[in-house]
Amino acid sequence: MDRPIIFAIPKGRILDEALPVMKAAGIEPEPGFFDKSNRALEFATNRDDVRLIRVRAFDVATFVAHGAAQIGIVGSDVIEEFGYSELYAPVDLGIGQCRLSVAEPKDADPAEALSALSHVRVATKYPALARRWFAAKGVQAELVKLNGAMELAPALGLSRRIVDLVSTGKTLKENGLVETETIMDISARLIVNRAAFKMMSGTLPALVERFREIAGASREAA
Amino acid sequence: MSEAPELLPVGFRDRLAPAAERGAGIEASVLAVLASHGYERVDPPLAETESALVARSAAAVRTDHLRFTDPISQRTLALRTDMTTQIGRIAATRLSDAPRPMRLCYAGQVLRLRSSQLRPERQLTQIGAEIIGSDEIAAAREIVGLAIEALQAAGVTGITVDFTLPDLVDRLAETRYPLDADTLTAVKAELDSKDAGGLAALGAHDYLPLIAAAGPYHEALAKLEAQDAGGALASRLEALRAIAKPIADDIRLTLDPTERHGFEYQSWFGFTLYADGHVASLGRGGTYTLAHANGSEEPATGFSLYPDALADVLPAAAVQRLFLPMGHDMDIAAQLRADGWRTVAALSDTDDAATLGCTHWLNGSEPLAI
Repeated sequence: MDRPIIFAIPKGRILDEALPVMKAAGIEPEPGFFDKSNRALEFATNRDDVRLIRVRAFDVATFVAHGAAQIGIVGSDVIEEFGYSELYAPVDLGIGQCRLSVAEPKDADPAEALSALSHVRVATKYPALARRWFAAKGVQAELVKLNGAMELAPALGLSRRIVDLVSTGKTLKENGLVETETIMDISARLIVNRAAFKMMSGTLPALVERFREIAGASREAA
Repeated sequence: MSEAPELLPVGFRDRLAPAAERGAGIEASVLAVLASHGYERVDPPLAETESALVARSAAAVRTDHLRFTDPISQRTLALRTDMTTQIGRIAATRLSDAPRPMRLCYAGQVLRLRSSQLRPERQLTQIGAEIIGSDEIAAAREIVGLAIEALQAAGVTGITVDFTLPDLVDRLAETRYPLDADTLTAVKAELDSKDAGGLAALGAHDYLPLIAAAGPYHEALAKLEAQDAGGALASRLEALRAIAKPIADDIRLTLDPTERHGFEYQSWFGFTLYADGHVASLGRGGTYTLAHANGSEEPATGFSLYPDALADVLPAAAVQRLFLPMGHDMDIAAQLRADGWRTVAALSDTDDAATLGCTHWLNGSEPLAI
């Protein structure tokens, strides 16, 4: 197999937890990867047949779904948001745990409780997921897509509610918001391109198996 | 200021030279292979009544078709999204009394209502072959072999065939690892994306080994066998072995026992075709059941290829175009065409050979390279 495996990993939240797992699976990035001033986007690893790309979490899913990268690590929030049919998520890595929740101002008017409304306005980074969840509750949701700082939206009147990731709840609290409902629990998953998994059957399934063992072992230890 | 030129609707495109000709060539090569194995060509229409198209396809939902009202009959017509359902209609109606097993092949354009980021095109070429009247191992073996031969005839190398057992989960749910209907649906969805975490969350731990049992054919089969303590799958695994046996060594085989992607209407056996250099699958096939109007059912096996991607990436054959200057000898030109040259005749003295994409020009009776 002359083509290397392209491994996509997300910038930010999950990265720090993902690196030890990758190391355990026998993949270590070149030193340049850890150099903050390095502007390169693609990196070599200790394995000749594996290269790393570091992109935004949402783009990890897109790269892998299109087969531009064959394997990657990304939160289940992103997987669910896109619902790409070309993605496998064979291993729950058990890292990057948090939840996707609905939050609103803590002094919310009870007359505007979700159960009393047929239409709400919600700011979120996850419009597809949020729309599905509200639709399942029979609520027409008008989604405002934001790329960050969702917590500002209620205070500034952009929307009363937000749907966002919550890990400790500290950010919500600091912005005067309370979590009202959990949409889903989230953890980081190993994702693989469907076609690549079949075509690179000499290497990819073995790599997936390695991650599965590591995830299984850490779950037992926990 | 001039208006922006009108674009094609999303998902449609013009195919130009040389891809257009290559596409036609690929279609002809594939159809020649199918014909050489005794498959008879049928050519159903582009549009039918919506009810006819929907009735025979378990997979297609009503909203998948582009529909319009026929001004003549006042009925709703729909453009086909899949030719297999039309072959099924033909087999169940006008050819219902033809001797079985009946071998049919087809090629044509299908139209999808929606495009996605991953699959932007809405018009696709579909080529396929169906054996009506059998879903036995012998039929499956013939269809898999035929699909491989067809791809090879189209110039594809580095082929991977991925086997699957579409009704495996249903079978397991009925026998060894019982599930209620709701959980079964959820389990299938998680298996579809090979989501081990989601499967565990559903409490369907019995099904976790199925995710691990996907991979290179021999290893995957061994894993599946090791798991099949009760022997519920023994006959299926035996059949898989018989189908894979005659396949040549240069074809990579994989097994994914729970792959259901695109196998919504398949019965016990299915396969997907992949090739190096193509991110999407090139086609798929398997066994299925054909419903007749009188309520009876008939087994069938077949495959479909979607070869449009091939025309875009396969290397172009070097084409030699010969420029014929004004006043050339027409008999010589005719002879050269018979020898395989493609000629481009000048219509005026200002025509230039190189500008018109010619590689040679005719000097008297001799083609000279430009």
